[in-house]
Amino acid sequence: MPTCTDPASPMNAAGYASRRVTKPPNWHELVAFDMLFNNMTTGLFVVAAAGDLVSRPAFGPLTRLAYPMALLFLTIDLACLVLDLGHRFRFHHMLRVFKPSSPMSLGTWCLTAYSIPLGLLSTIEVLEMAGIREIPAWMRLASITTGIPFAMGAAMYKGVLFSTTSQPGWKDSRWLGGYLTNSAIAIGCAELLAIADLAGQGPVRAIRTSLLALLAINLGFLATLIVELRPAIRTLKGGHRLDLMLTLGAALGVWVPAILILVSGTMPTIASAIIDGIGMVLVLAGNFLVRRSIVMLPHHENDDGIVARWDGGS
Amino acid sequence: MNARELEISAIPEPAETPSGPVATILGPFLPVVRPEPRTPTGFYTDTTVCIGCKACEVACKQWNQLPSDGLNWSGDSYDNTQALSATSWRHVKFIEQFASAGADAPSRWLMMSDVCKHCSAAPCQHACPTGAIIYNEFSNVYIQPDICNGCAYCIAACPFGVITRSDLDGHAHKCTLCYDRQRDGLIPACAKACPTASIQFGPIDELRDRAHRRIEELNSRGTPSAYLYGEAPTATYSELHSFYLLVDRPSTYGLPESPFNPWLRMRGDYLRSLLGGLAAIVAMILVWTLRMP
Ligand code: SF4
Ligand code: SF4
Repeated sequence: MPTCTDPASPMNAAGYASRRVTKPPNWHELVAFDMLFNNMTTGLFVVAAAGDLVSRPAFGPLTRLAYPMALLFLTIDLACLVLDLGHRFRFHHMLRVFKPSSPMSLGTWCLTAYSIPLGLLSTIEVLEMAGIREIPAWMRLASITTGIPFAMGAAMYKGVLFSTTSQPGWKDSRWLGGYLTNSAIAIGCAELLAIADLAGQGPVRAIRTSLLALLAINLGFLATLIVELRPAIRTLKGGHRLDLMLTLGAALGVWVPAILILVSGTMPTIASAIIDGIGMVLVLAGNFLVRRSIVMLPHHENDDGIVARWDGGS
Repeated sequence: MNARELEISAIPEPAETPSGPVATILGPFLPVVRPEPRTPTGFYTDTTVCIGCKACEVACKQWNQLPSDGLNWSGDSYDNTQALSATSWRHVKFIEQFASAGADAPSRWLMMSDVCKHCSAAPCQHACPTGAIIYNEFSNVYIQPDICNGCAYCIAACPFGVITRSDLDGHAHKCTLCYDRQRDGLIPACAKACPTASIQFGPIDELRDRAHRRIEELNSRGTPSAYLYGEAPTATYSELHSFYLLVDRPSTYGLPESPFNPWLRMRGDYLRSLLGGLAAIVAMILVWTLRMP
């Protein structure tokens, strides 16, 4: 910045040009967790629902556990959303308008709508598991079919929410939504594989192969996203650390689990279950790293020796 | 100064505000009567006459009862405010363009009072999921403090870095264009206080005419670099209801060279999201069908 005491500074004429104009929102780790749990619940639901529709006899024992787990993840996700607000007791204000122009409004409505069939399905599963009563098949089918579009909507909005902003990196990431929605399904598949291993039932081999295919596709989306983010990352102080985190995220979330799952297919049941479990934990860890790097990107200063004056408050 | 108070018009009496826990929860959901649209108003800031006195900053703080930001000596010329924020809705910027010793170039000191641009298609308004951000009857962008829940999406959306969230109440705040004063037929406190009429307030069409006349005057007096920023829409951004007369590049004043409304890309982004999901689901079902007995 120009100062009276440094009249010869080459920056004098540039005025405020070296300062970033936009201010980062007050979004930090909690939002990265929210992104992860959003993908964990919607992905698990969509994968389980697809399994139910493809073959109820094969996937039934797994979806019985999957829906209540998806409900648990949704609860954690909602808690993250509420805790991240400046005024937590006003979360319900999100539902006073339906505003398709706002991805956050659309997303909140999708999550709310998704919670109803998910809650119903979880109740059905718990009632049946407890042997309390047999629920008519049409009820399950209706809940699954109404839940899928809302779960997809809830998975899709998050990336669009970030890309329709004026923040460095985010505003250029046209494939962020594509990546997040794609990884939601991959995460869901990894979760279902872990459930199948735990339950010792279900088409484990088919799920394992499909997870490998999903990880391969996900790598393509992640690579595209990294290419889009890189120009913005290069302008940041500590940008190389962010770059490293993204690469580490790709390695932990895609490469290593893919290798582990390839190996586990050749192992005896118990060993393969353990390796699959480790693979799933790595998928989650890698995906968290990627999400954290994305969320924290605008909080990094520009790499021009000029300190950003505003860090977004709390 | 050529800014004048508007005539006090028939002002509707505010309704009794309901109170209590039920009203707190349900209040924002109750229907309200929208005021009739009025002539769109805004600011025209002629930076060539700004003297950096900061009377606008003080008047804004005083009228809107904004808390102090502390006494921080930045070392950046006379700019100790540093940025617009939830507690500073006006920010006077100082740009010292002094030639190096011995150089022949003329020196100058640019000053500019920055504020929310009251964009006519405002990204912050598109973003707001609670409907807290509205265009009021004067076509100004207004945050309803009783509705905002502090989600911070508007902060991320604004291409001018205007809004921040207050640590005091957790809500987003910015210039209201003195909505309360306008309703009472008064001009905003900053425009009222500005001793050089650098900040001018009024009906937006009138301001545009005035600004164009001023550009002609400056050009004829030997300042060909004078131009208007934001008075007309561009291919990527709407017109601003708070526009500026500048004599250097926008970035010199800390303004984006060519602001972009991120909503222009929303549809494509949704489509790519869908594609990402569908690619995964189709691949997964295909593998299941092939691998399952
Ligand atoms: S300048 Fe920013 S805060 Fe002001 S109306 Fe435009 S988008 Fe909203
Ligand atoms: S912080 Fe408040 S004003 Fe800004 S988008 Fe969220 S609810 Fe709307």
